[in-house]
Amino acid sequence: MRKYLSIFKISFQQEFVYRLNFIMWRIRNVIQILLIFFLWDSVFSEPGKVLFGYDRARIITYVFGLIFIRSVVLSIRSIDVAGEISRGEFANYLIKPVSYFKYWFTRDLSSKALNILFAIFEFSLLFIILQPSFFMQTNLIYVIFFLLSLVIAILIYFLLVLLFSSFPFWYPEQAWGSIFLLFIFTEFLGGGMFPLDILPKNIQNILSFTPFPHLLFSPIQIYLGKLELGGSLKALSLSMIWVIILAFFVNKLWERGLKNYKSEGK
Amino acid sequence: MKKILYYFKIWLIISKNSFLNVIHQRLALAIFLVGKILRFVFFLAFLYFIVNSAGTLAGYSSHQAIFFFLTFNLIDIVSQFLFRDVYRFRPLVASGDFDLILVKPLNALFRVLMGGADFIDLVTIPPVIYALIWLGQSLNPSYFQVLMYIFLILNGLLIATSFHIAVLALGIITLEIDHTIMIYRDLMSLGRFPIDIYKEPLKGILTYLIPVGIMISLPTKALLGLVSPIGLFISFAVGVTVFVISLKLWDFALTKYTSASS
Amino acid sequence: MDKAIIVDHLIKNFEITEKKPGIIGSLTNIISPTKKIVRALKNISFVLEEGELVGFIGPNGAGKTTTLKILSGLLYPTAGFVEVISYNPWERNPEFLKQISLVMGQKNQLWWDLPAIETFELNKAIYEIPKREFKESLDELVSLLGVSKLLNIPVRRLSLGQRMRMELIAALIHKPKVLFLDEPTIGLDLIAQEKVRDFIYQYNQKNKATILLTSHNMDDLVDLARRVIVIDEGKIVFDGLFQELITRFAKEKIIKIHLGGEVDIKKLESIGEVKKIKIPEVTIAVPREACAVAASELLQNFPIDDLTIEEKPIEDIVRQVFRGGITRKAAR
Repeated sequence: MRKYLSIFKISFQQEFVYRLNFIMWRIRNVIQILLIFFLWDSVFSEPGKVLFGYDRARIITYVFGLIFIRSVVLSIRSIDVAGEISRGEFANYLIKPVSYFKYWFTRDLSSKALNILFAIFEFSLLFIILQPSFFMQTNLIYVIFFLLSLVIAILIYFLLVLLFSSFPFWYPEQAWGSIFLLFIFTEFLGGGMFPLDILPKNIQNILSFTPFPHLLFSPIQIYLGKLELGGSLKALSLSMIWVIILAFFVNKLWERGLKNYKSEGK
Repeated sequence: MKKILYYFKIWLIISKNSFLNVIHQRLALAIFLVGKILRFVFFLAFLYFIVNSAGTLAGYSSHQAIFFFLTFNLIDIVSQFLFRDVYRFRPLVASGDFDLILVKPLNALFRVLMGGADFIDLVTIPPVIYALIWLGQSLNPSYFQVLMYIFLILNGLLIATSFHIAVLALGIITLEIDHTIMIYRDLMSLGRFPIDIYKEPLKGILTYLIPVGIMISLPTKALLGLVSPIGLFISFAVGVTVFVISLKLWDFALTKYTSASS
Repeated sequence: MDKAIIVDHLIKNFEITEKKPGIIGSLTNIISPTKKIVRALKNISFVLEEGELVGFIGPNGAGKTTTLKILSGLLYPTAGFVEVISYNPWERNPEFLKQISLVMGQKNQLWWDLPAIETFELNKAIYEIPKREFKESLDELVSLLGVSKLLNIPVRRLSLGQRMRMELIAALIHKPKVLFLDEPTIGLDLIAQEKVRDFIYQYNQKNKATILLTSHNMDDLVDLARRVIVIDEGKIVFDGLFQELITRFAKEKIIKIHLGGEVDIKKLESIGEVKKIKIPEVTIAVPREACAVAASELLQNFPIDDLTIEEKPIEDIVRQVFRGGITRKAAR
C-alpha cells in the first residue's frame, strides 16, 4: 500500500515539474467548456425556452457539471501507456514488483486530484463571471448515487483507455490513432458536448449498448435527479456490469498482447 | 518568377517525400482519417439537430449555421494540410538538425513551415468544398458577396499562416511550442459557431485581439451580406499587419538563435 | 592562390540566463534574471588557402563547433572579421550557401523513413544541380564510398557507419568548394572511421576543396591533416604543421627496452626517466637531442635483447599543448 502512496506523491510532484504543460491543459479545458457554455446559452437565450426536456437552468447546470466531472473522470496519465508499449519501454515495469495496472491507476488518481483542485477553482471563477443559474441537488440520496456513479465512471474510463492502448501490442506505430478515436467517442457519445437525451430515442437506445454514456452523461443525470430513484439504481447497476465486461476484455487482450509482444522479442 | 517556380518545385518534392513517409503507415492513416471524419460527421449532425430544434442560433438559420461550420472546417483543414511540419519543429530544434536546414540555400522558414503537407487532409478538403458550394447556393448570395467570401477566406488563411510563423519563431526562442499550437487550435475551434453567440468581452477579444472572428466568422458573414466595406477593409488590414509582424518576429528569432549543441 | 577562409580577431560571446533553484528562484528569474556571459571565442585569427585540409583540434568546449558555425553562417560574431570565399557568412547569401557544406557527426539531414536517394534528389533541387552533373557527382561519390547497393534502402535500416556515408554524399552532392566537418567520425567503429577518413582525403585531393575538420580524435588528424590549429578555451594555442607540433611539444622520445638479464634499476635511471617497469620490459623517456647517445649507452652497458625508439603518444603531446606546453610527468 505504501509503495502506491509514494507513486501517488511522485506523480503529483511531476505534474508540478511540467507546470506549463499542466496549466496549458487546464486552459484548454476552460476554452472547451466556454465553447459549449456559450452554445447552449445562445440556444436558450429566450427566457422560458424549453427544449428536449431541458430548460436553461438545467442545461447550464449540465455544462457546469461537466467542468467538474470531466476533471474527475477524464483526467488521466494513463494515455502514456500506449506510447510506452509502442516504444517498448513498459518491459521495465514487468520486472518491478508493482502491478502495471495498479501503477497507472495510482498515477491517474494523482492526476485527478490535482485536476479536481483546479476544476473547483475554475468552476468558482466561471460561476462568478458567467453567473449561471445552477441547480443545486438537495436530495442526499441522489448525491450519494452521483458520487458512486463517478467512482464507477473512473473505473470504466480507465479500462477503456487500457483497452484502446492495447492496440500497439500488435501495431507499435498506432499508439496515437486508437486513443484519438477513444477521445472522439467519449466526447460525442459520452455526453461531453451535449446531454445525450436530446438525441432521438432510437439513437439513444443504440448508445445504451455502449459504455460511453456512463462516463459523463449518466452521472450528471443522476445528480440532476432526472432518473429518479429506480432509474438511478438501474443506471448504477448497468455501469457496474460494464466494469465487469470491460475488465474481462482488458485482461484477455493484454494477455494476448503480452504473448505477442514477447514473441516479437523487442 | 523563377524563384516561385523553384520553391514550387521543391514543395512538390518535399510533399512527395512526406506522402511516401506516410503511405508506409497505412493503418495509422486509416485510423486518423476515420477519426477525423467521425468527428466531422458527429459535429455536423449535432449542429444541424440543435439549430433545427431550437429554430435559430444567434439569429442564424440552420443552413447558415452549418455554413459557418463548414467554413471553419475549410480554413482549419487547409492550414493543417499546409503547415503540418510546424508540429515537428520542436524536435528539429532540440536535436540541432535545424542547423543543417539553415545551412542550405533554401529559405529556412519555407522549409519548416510548409515542408510536410499532410496528405490525409487532401482527402477531406474536396468534400468540404463541395458541401460549401452546394449549401452556399441555397443562401443566394450575389457575385460580389461570393467574391468577398473568397477573399476573406484567403485573408483568413493569411492570418493562419501568420500564427504558424509566430509559433515557429517562439519555438526557436523558447522551445515551448506544442502547447501554443494546441491553444491556438482550441481558440480556432471557438469559430465553429458564429462568434455572435459569445458574450462580451469574449466576443470582442475573439474579433479583434485573437482574430478568430475575422478569420472564420467574417467570410460567411460577408457571403450573407452582413459586412460593411469598412469591416472588409479592417479585416484585410489586420491580415496584412499580422503577416508582416510574424515575419519580423521570425527574423528576430533567427538572430537570437543559438543552437543547442556542445 | 586565393584565401578561402579568413578569420581575423574573431570574438564570440554567449549570454546565458542562470537558472536559480526553487520556487523563489523561478520567480526572481522572471522578474530580474541574472545573465552570465560565456566567452566562447577570445580573439582568434587564422587563414586557410584554397584547397587546404586543416585539422581543428581541442578539448570539448574549446570553441571548435562555435567556430565552424560562425564560418557557415549559423551564428553571428560578437566582434571581428570573417570571410569565406569572399562572402560574409552571416548574410547567408544563397550563392554562398550553394558552395559550402556542413557535416556534423550524429546530426541528420537524411529523411529517416525513406531511401537516401530521395534526400539526394531533394538536394539536387535545392542546390539547382543540373541533371548531368548530379549523375556524375552521385556516381563518383557512391563509388568512392562503396554504397551503391544501399541507395534504395530506407535510411532507418542502415547502420551508423552506412548512414554517415550517406550523410556525406548528401552533403557533397553539390560539389561544395568549402567543407566544414564537425566530428565526422564520432560514434563510428574503427573500420568506418578509416573509410570516412580515406574518403575525405581523396575528396580533398580530387576536388581541391578547402576542408576544415574538427575532432578530438587524434587518429583523424594523423591521417589527414598536414596543418593543425589547436584551440583551447577559445584561444588558438598552435597553428602550423602537424610535424612541427610534434617536434615542438614532444621534447622527449621514448626508448623501450627488452631486458635479457638482471639489472639495477637505479643505474637505468641515470640514463633517463624510467616511465614504466614490467620486467623484462622497461620504458624510458629521454630528451630528444640525447636520444641516440642514450640508446648506445644502454646497448653498451646493459643486457638488452631488444630496443626501440618511439615518439611520445600523440594524445600526450596534444594534451601538453592544451596545458600550455608544460612538460609534466604525466601518468600513463
